[in-house]
Amino acid sequence: MGSLRVVSLLMRAEELKGHLDALLLAALEDGPRHGYAVIEALRTSTGGRLDLPTGTIYPALHRLEAAGLITGSWSVVSGRQRREYRLTPAGMRALSGKRTDWRDFAAMISAALEGRPWPSPA
Amino acid sequence: MAEPSLIGGYLAELSAQLPAPIVAELADGLDQTRQCYLGQGLGLGAAERAALAEFGAPRVIVAAFTRASPARRAARRLLVTGPMVGACWAAALITNRAWAWPIPPGARAVVGAALVTVIVLLAGAAFSRHYRSAGRAAAAGCIGITALDATLLITVAFVAPTVIWPVIVAVTASLARITFSARALRTVLAI
Repeated sequence: MGSLRVVSLLMRAEELKGHLDALLLAALEDGPRHGYAVIEALRTSTGGRLDLPTGTIYPALHRLEAAGLITGSWSVVSGRQRREYRLTPAGMRALSGKRTDWRDFAAMISAALEGRPWPSPA
Repeated sequence: MAEPSLIGGYLAELSAQLPAPIVAELADGLDQTRQCYLGQGLGLGAAERAALAEFGAPRVIVAAFTRASPARRAARRLLVTGPMVGACWAAALITNRAWAWPIPPGARAVVGAALVTVIVLLAGAAFSRHYRSAGRAAAAGCIGITALDATLLITVAFVAPTVIWPVIVAVTASLARITFSARALRTVLAI
């Protein structure tokens, strides 16, 4: 039972890997957030079903920052250093593109799985 | 601020392998995760253990940061673009009959050895599994490649100052690489 759950989690993590950037960008769409708040936002928006490994979210945020899609800044909260991230204009464009790609992909897979014809462009 | 024992040990392990700003960010995240579990009614020890379990093993975090490190990224870009810049210089040197230039064989050997060393350093940085060693190797590689480009530019300026298009292309490629290396070096050293 335990091993089945591990396999399931690994598969889900593998499926999510390609969409992690879009998920993180979406979590920052409403305004600046620090790493933990990003994780919380993803949990909340998915009703707790999306529970990504916390420690690997931070490297992903650094990667997005290096790509110029988000920008980070330091502040001090309760005597502790905190790094907050916000979307850049390039990040907003990237998020919009990833959303469109996802909708197209999801519609295509749904059409194939449910036996519906692929909607022809208007 | 002194961290409670379990988290303190975890952060000490991360500190040995990652730069201080990254560890400070992780410490803040860990503290918030721990506070969240304390808010759910867990005791201090249980909250710490739950927070650490949620974060994952230090080696996993270090590996993820190393994969995303600016040092590895810069080293890979220099390795990928290296053959193209090299081809530009090969065309320029062949066109200029560089083998007939009055350059001592010893100097040629030193440049060749430096080139091999730089490639080894960049390859080491590009595939390193250790954040700090990737940074050191990439920094040395950036300095080395800049020195090699500068050597080529100075040599061409003094030995074959004739302006022909293969030289213009090679000089432009080297200047672009020097600019990229300088920026990459600043980023790598800043972390």
